[in-house]
Amino acid sequence: MTRHRRLATVVAIAAAMALAAGCGRDSGGEQDTAKAVGAGKATGEITVWAMGTEGEKLAEFAKGFTAENPDAKVTVTAVPWDAAHQKIAGAIAARQTPDVSMIGTTYQGEFAKTGALDPTPADLFAKDSYFPGAWDSTVVDGTAYGVPWYVETRGIYYRKDLAAKAGITAAPKTWDELKAMAKALQTKAGAKWGINLQPGKTGSWQSVMPFAWSNGATITDGDKFTFDSPAMTEALAYYQSFFTEKLAPTFLPEGQLEPDFVAGRIGAFMSGPWHVGILKDQGGAGFADKFTVAPMPVKQTGTSFIGGSNIAVFKDAKNRDSAWKFIQWLSKPDVQVKWYQTVSDLPAVQSAWTDPALSGDAILSTFGAQLKDAKAPPAIPTWEQVSAAFDSEVEKLAVAGQDPATTAKAIESKATAIGTGS
Amino acid sequence: MPKERRRLRRAVTGWAFAAPFTVLFVVFSALPVVAALAMSLTDLRSTDLRNPFAVDFVGLDNYTRLVGDELFVKAAGNTLIFVVVGVPLTMAVALASATGLNSGLLRFKALFRVGFYLPAVTSIVAIAVIWRFLLDPEAGLLNNLLGLVGVDGPNWLGDTSTALPSLIVMSAWRNFGFLMIVFLAGLQGIPVDLYEAATIDGAGRWQQFRGITLPLLRPTLLFGAVVTGIGYLQLFEEPFVMTRGGPLSSTLSVSYHIYNQFGFGNYGYAAAASYVLFVAIVGLSVLQFRLLGTRGDS
Amino acid sequence: MTRDRVARVALYAVLVLGLLVVVGPFLWMVLSSLKPEAEIRSVPPTWWPDTLTLGNYRDLFARLDFPRYFFNSALVAALVTAGNLLFCSALGYALAKLRFPGRRALFLVVLGMLMVPGMATFVPQFVLISNMGLANSYAGLVLPFLAGPFGVFLMRQFLLGIPDDLLEAARVDGAGEWRIFLRIVLPLCKPALATLAILTFLASWNNFLWPLVVATTEDKYTLPVALALYSVGQNQIYYGLLLAGAVVVVLPVLIVFLVLQRHFLRGIATTGLK
Repeated sequence: MTRHRRLATVVAIAAAMALAAGCGRDSGGEQDTAKAVGAGKATGEITVWAMGTEGEKLAEFAKGFTAENPDAKVTVTAVPWDAAHQKIAGAIAARQTPDVSMIGTTYQGEFAKTGALDPTPADLFAKDSYFPGAWDSTVVDGTAYGVPWYVETRGIYYRKDLAAKAGITAAPKTWDELKAMAKALQTKAGAKWGINLQPGKTGSWQSVMPFAWSNGATITDGDKFTFDSPAMTEALAYYQSFFTEKLAPTFLPEGQLEPDFVAGRIGAFMSGPWHVGILKDQGGAGFADKFTVAPMPVKQTGTSFIGGSNIAVFKDAKNRDSAWKFIQWLSKPDVQVKWYQTVSDLPAVQSAWTDPALSGDAILSTFGAQLKDAKAPPAIPTWEQVSAAFDSEVEKLAVAGQDPATTAKAIESKATAIGTGS
Repeated sequence: MPKERRRLRRAVTGWAFAAPFTVLFVVFSALPVVAALAMSLTDLRSTDLRNPFAVDFVGLDNYTRLVGDELFVKAAGNTLIFVVVGVPLTMAVALASATGLNSGLLRFKALFRVGFYLPAVTSIVAIAVIWRFLLDPEAGLLNNLLGLVGVDGPNWLGDTSTALPSLIVMSAWRNFGFLMIVFLAGLQGIPVDLYEAATIDGAGRWQQFRGITLPLLRPTLLFGAVVTGIGYLQLFEEPFVMTRGGPLSSTLSVSYHIYNQFGFGNYGYAAAASYVLFVAIVGLSVLQFRLLGTRGDS
Repeated sequence: MTRDRVARVALYAVLVLGLLVVVGPFLWMVLSSLKPEAEIRSVPPTWWPDTLTLGNYRDLFARLDFPRYFFNSALVAALVTAGNLLFCSALGYALAKLRFPGRRALFLVVLGMLMVPGMATFVPQFVLISNMGLANSYAGLVLPFLAGPFGVFLMRQFLLGIPDDLLEAARVDGAGEWRIFLRIVLPLCKPALATLAILTFLASWNNFLWPLVVATTEDKYTLPVALALYSVGQNQIYYGLLLAGAVVVVLPVLIVFLVLQRHFLRGIATTGLK
């Protein structure tokens, strides 16, 4: 018994000492500079990881690329969204990364900080061709890693038939008009809840920050967090008022939103483009005429949240130049449109939106216009943790009636404790 | 001399039986555990993954931070309640159903066995949908039934005081099937003649249960208690799928908190929390061994 | 007589009620896999499908290379189960019935491993496997799970119940330890072995995170990983595919259970014991 215990202790100490010896961070990172990619066609095998449906459809879609670059071969491995973060992290740890991978915008800061991503070559990509919010989500410490591939944003879905019944014929344009519409939907159109807004819990920041941004609030200023500001407090107060005035529910069982919207029990809600398909499905024939999407209402601006996915090349890539050429191909406006037609992912390249496939649809045009005024959180490695703290304070705000000023201060102090990870 | 040789022979035989497992175990389990311990003494984050040794050694800093982490403390409290109530509850239901199924009175045993085992193999997503519906404050079955007898049921999953108890019941429901199988195996190990002899002696069913079944089932019961305790201390899936740790962190478990920390990339911190959980698990198991173990166990 | 009858009715009543409660979600899962997406999401949930459709299954099978993933899952689960049955019973026997130096320490260490939260060792295990060159291989998928402490604990507890006189008699007769193990001990443990087989198979079959990270190309994916590919999107869950996948994943486990659960019916033969 004692012999084994002693052995175990020795091993543990040895391991600890080895760590301590080879240990220590070196202060000051070097700036990552992008290397140019040469001219000419792509060659060799390009390994790509893509999530979910993108992974499924990309292999076939990439044939368009190999048609133009016959010496190249694109091998796509589909990766589940569930735990994609763990898979990429594991690959980075074991130095087993592919050439290319989709990187969700919220992972960007963290993976860029590992040093595993290759900086975006300036000779192939122009920052201005992308939506500004989307491009910003690729920038970490002043360097862009990868490029935006597809985007999504948030708008206000509402029952235009019920709104008409309540005497509202135009989309709400200001904060006051939104509140008025929610009230009218309740009092004059029989809705139980005028609007559904996420009352805290994971991801609620994507509903709250648009209002904050629209009021001029910011998340960071350089290395410091700036959550505690009058603009943020005012936005939080506005958000809270929907709950205190019983316009929005503080608890909605999961999966209840769509059926309630179809039945007219909920008059409006905030979400992204994917809900169009779900609502058409659930609402059945003719429901498409009953709802529409309004852009974010204006306070100082009408700013929304921009999400989506970036696509990047790894430093450990075996076929770097060709990998970047593949991404360049994916960013061509006509390819972006074709990709939209394949999987319904909205293009990140602005000029792709002039195509009639996108400009012809009313709801899509609304989202397209909104994308021009949409922000993403800073690409810092600690964002997941900071946003979780944000979400938990918002929950207290919405459900437990915590005062907005206290909420802003609490978020600021928790975020500062976590740090920006730089 | 023969005694020495016998002892040597016995040692060799013993280790020969133990060897295959031990080798695999040391390489693939023990080493990573030591590495994880080392990890918990550093400030390793996911951003250090390419250079895991270029981190700072912080000693017990991660551990002391845990004490001041309000979320961790809340999670610890929740988990403790969950275990203290959940383990006996699950074991009682499992033992009852195993005894029922083992009873000579029953036909269609296979049907019941499979049926009770199903929650253990049903996708947690399906379970979540059904249970969320069952517990829905307005449309749910439970509150409608309560309404029939004039009781106004609460918002089970949305109220901080009822969310955790609801999850306890759900977990007992989900996990008793596996325990039931284990107890059944144990019950099968008790020779039938013992019961026959007892019946001849005039002992009633309950007396037989207390006098024969329980004592002979002790090693199996201990196994059940330890394994369920270990499982419940690591409660994760139910709060993850049903309530996302809410409302207001009332169903946040230690494992869920650790999962979040790993997700945030705070590997060193999360490893430290894992070791604290490990100590708790060991503590609980030692307690259980004391209470339920027999002379044969250490 | 009537006392027995009443007891029997009561027993049946309780068990049937329990059965309904317990089987409900499973039934819903199977029935809902035959519904279109919109109906699955409807609130309140429906039981019998308003629209019966095989669309989810057709979709699933068309998009996934099923034979491949099924084979991978089956191979890995079979190897892990077989390995556990052999190694854990061997060690369990040694811990319960053989005297050798260090056995108590070994038991404690193994038991201790059972208590280590899995999440903590995940990253070091993966780095280890990769550095051994076993990433994206069957060996990498199987090796870390062959030495399961759970199995050792289960077998040891069960084996403690085997009377020593039985083994002593065999030893006196001159039988070697291995022969005693194979011929006498193992046949006596059928219920425990069946239990261990079921539980190990279930755990291995449903394992998601490890195969996800270890397999770097799709041809090494196991079934749960492949099923997750299209059922969970970036912003939404596709319930139809998810439930159809859940049903498909459950079937082999149920079959294994049905086949092995007969062994619960075998009581221990009275010969040799007592």
